[in-house]
Amino acid sequence: MRLLNKVFAGVMAAGIGLAATAAFAGDIRVGITMRMVSENGQAYGQMVMDEIKAINDAGGINGNMIEATLMNDECKSDKGVANANKLIFQEKIHLLIGSTCSSVSLPIVDVTAKAGVPQMIPHSTNAKITQKGSEWVFRIPVSGRYYGGVNAKYVGENIGTKIAYICAADAASVGDCANMEKQMRARFGVDPAYRADVQEKEVDFRSHMQKIKSMNVDGILVAALAETMARALIQSYEAGIGEDVRRIGSSSASNAPVPKIAGDAAKGVFFTAAYAAADSRPIAKLFNEMTRQRYGIHAPDHDFSQAYDLVRIMEIALNNADLGLTDGSLAADRTAIRDAIASVEGYEGLASGPISFCAAPTPQCRDGNRTAVLIGYTKGGENFETEVLARVTMEPDFGLE
Amino acid sequence: MLFLSRIADLIEWLAQRHRLLPWLIAYALLLPLPLILSTFFNDYLIDLANRACLFIMLAVGLNIVKGFCGQVTVGHIGLYAIGAVTSAVLSLEPGGFGGALGFGLSVWVSIPIAVIVTAFAGLIVGLPSVRLEGAYLALATLGLGESVRIFIAVTPALGSSTGLMMIPAPSIGGFVFDSFTSYYYLVMTAAVVGIYFSFAILRSATGRAFQAIREDTIAASVNGINVVKYKLLAFVLSAVYAGLAGALFAHMPPGYLHHNNFTVIEMVTLLLMVVLGGIGNVWGGVIGAIVVTIAYDQTKDLVVYFMDRPIVIQPLVFGLSMVLLVLFMPRGIGGWFEGVRRNRRFIQRSEEKLGDAARNS
Repeated sequence: MRLLNKVFAGVMAAGIGLAATAAFAGDIRVGITMRMVSENGQAYGQMVMDEIKAINDAGGINGNMIEATLMNDECKSDKGVANANKLIFQEKIHLLIGSTCSSVSLPIVDVTAKAGVPQMIPHSTNAKITQKGSEWVFRIPVSGRYYGGVNAKYVGENIGTKIAYICAADAASVGDCANMEKQMRARFGVDPAYRADVQEKEVDFRSHMQKIKSMNVDGILVAALAETMARALIQSYEAGIGEDVRRIGSSSASNAPVPKIAGDAAKGVFFTAAYAAADSRPIAKLFNEMTRQRYGIHAPDHDFSQAYDLVRIMEIALNNADLGLTDGSLAADRTAIRDAIASVEGYEGLASGPISFCAAPTPQCRDGNRTAVLIGYTKGGENFETEVLARVTMEPDFGLE
Repeated sequence: MLFLSRIADLIEWLAQRHRLLPWLIAYALLLPLPLILSTFFNDYLIDLANRACLFIMLAVGLNIVKGFCGQVTVGHIGLYAIGAVTSAVLSLEPGGFGGALGFGLSVWVSIPIAVIVTAFAGLIVGLPSVRLEGAYLALATLGLGESVRIFIAVTPALGSSTGLMMIPAPSIGGFVFDSFTSYYYLVMTAAVVGIYFSFAILRSATGRAFQAIREDTIAASVNGINVVKYKLLAFVLSAVYAGLAGALFAHMPPGYLHHNNFTVIEMVTLLLMVVLGGIGNVWGGVIGAIVVTIAYDQTKDLVVYFMDRPIVIQPLVFGLSMVLLVLFMPRGIGGWFEGVRRNRRFIQRSEEKLGDAARNS
C-alpha cells in the first residue's frame, strides 16, 4: 500500500508538472507559435512579447492583463500543431498568434477551426491558408496571390516577359513562383523561359545560371528563403550574367540576410513586400528607430512590421470585445474576440496598405492587407539601403479565379 | 526500482499462466488513460500520449534491425515518410483542395497498402546491408532516407513544399476517429500489438538468428544461418513498424504532412530514444520513446540568455544527453534495469541456497 501511495504521488507530481498552466481568471491568455530558429525569428518573437508587456504596463486591456506564452515551432508542421494543441487545451488560450511559416499555419488553421479559437497569422503568405474557409483565421500579411499579381504586372510592363524562374522547395517560395507564373501567363500569355525547382537549402546554382546566361533572358526570379536567395544572387554574377538582367526576389528578399550575405549582388534586386524600411511616413521612421535601439536591427523587414501591426490590431480587437474572462466564459470570449477582429476596418499602421477584415470566412474577408509595395535594393552589405518603387492595391477577388 | 522489479516479476508470473494474459491486462489498464488525463489534467496530454505511441512503434521497429540484428541504419525516418505519404495519397480525394495526387481509397485500405509498400521499401533500404557494415551501412541508409524526403519535397503530386493537407481521419460507419481520445485507441492498440510482436520475434527462431548475426556474422553463417535472408528480413520487419506508424501519423488530426517532418533531426531523436531505452531491449525502446517524447515536450522552449541574446538550449541538452548516455550508460535504461534485476535474482538465489545449506546442516 505504501508502495502504491508512492507511485500515485509520483504520477501526480509528474502530471502536475506536465499540466502546469499559468491560467488566472481575469487574464487574457494569448498563445504565440513562431519560427524562432534564426536570429531574426527570435528578435521578432521577442518584439511581440515586449509589445504585449507594454500594453500590460499601460494598464492592460480594460484593466485585464494579457498573459502571453511564446513557443518555437522551428517552422515544422508537427511541432506547430503540437504547440497549438498545447496552447489551446493546456494553456486554455483566448487567441492564437502564428505561425510565421505557411507550412505550419496551414495545419494549425484546421486545429483552431475545430477548437473554435481565433487565429491571427503574422507572416504566412500561402494563399490556401484563407481558402480553407475557416471563420477563425485572420491574415495580417499580404497573401501570395496578390504578390504574384503585383510582381507580374511590374515585370511585364517594365522589364520584359522572358523570365527565368528559380524556385526553392519551401512553401512560400513555391507559392510565389506559382503565382507569378500564373499571372504572367494570364496577363502576357508567356510561360517561363527557364524553370528550375531546387532544394530549400540549395547551395549550388551554377549550372542553372550558366543555362540562364545562354538564354538572354530579361529577368531572373529567385524565389527562395533568405540565405538560399543570397547564394543564388551571388552565383548569378559569378556565372557572368550582367546587371542588365534584372533580379527579382520573392517576398523573402525583404529579410535582412539577403542584402547582408549577397552584398553587392543584392543591388538592383527588387521584390514585393508588406513593408518598406525606406517608407517616409513618421510612423515607419519611429518603428525603424525602435527596432534599431531595442534589437539592433539595421532596417526592419516586413516580418517585424507585420508582427507589430498584429499586436496593434489585437489590442484594438481585445478592447472592443466584451469579455467575461472566467473559466466558464472561455468559448464565448473566443467568439467575442473573433467577432471583434472581424470588425477591424481600415487599420492604418506600418503595413503597405490599410488592413480590414469582415465576418465571412472567405479569402476576400480574411486576407487583411491587399496592398503590396515594390522595393528595390540600392545598396547591399551590412548597411544596405532600399527604395520604394511602387505601391499597388489589388481587388479582393484577385488571384482566386 | 524495487517496485519496477516486482512489476516485472508479476508480468513473468502472469505470462506463465497464459502468454497473452499480461498483455490483456496492460491493454485494459491503458484503456481509461484518456479519461484520467482529461479529468485530472487536460486534453493536450492525450495528444502527447498519441505521439508517444507513434514513437514507441518507431523505436520498437528500429530496435528489431538495430538492436536484435545489429545493423546500423539511419534511414528509418525515410521509411516512416514512405508509410505516411503512401497512405495519405491513397486516401486523399482525387483533385482535392491541396492539389496533390489522390485515389480516394478508404483509410482502412490505404493503411495496409502503405505498410506493404513500406515493407518493400525496407527491403531496398536493407540491400546495402548485404555488402556493407558499420559506418558505411549507416551512410548508405542515411542517403536513402534523405533521398525519400527530398523526393517528396520536389514532387508536387506528393505535396512538395505545401504539404499534403486534409488527409481524412479513419472512420467506421458514422464514427470518425478525429479526436485525441478516439485516435488514442487506434495508436495505443497498434503500439501494444507492435510491442507484443516484437517480443514474439525476439523469442522465435528468427529472433535468435537475428541475435546470432548481431554477435558474429561469420559464426552465424558457419552455423547454417542464411545471413542475407535474415538481415533483409530484419529490415522488412522494421519497415512494417515504420510504415504503420507513418500511416497512423498521416491520418492523425489535423491530417497534414510536410517533408520537414522527416528530417535527419527526427532520425537522431529516434536514435536517442533507442539508445536511451537500451539497444536490443524491447522495453527499453518503449521507455526511451516515452521519456524522450515527454522530455522533448517539456524542454523545447527552454531559452537561456547570453549577452542579452536568447539561445534555445534543447539541441544542446539532447546532444549532450546522447554523448553522456553512450559514455556512461551504453546499455540504456532497459539494459541497466535488466542488470539490476539479474543481480537481485542472483542475491535471492544465493540467499535461498545459503538457507537450504543452513537447514541441511
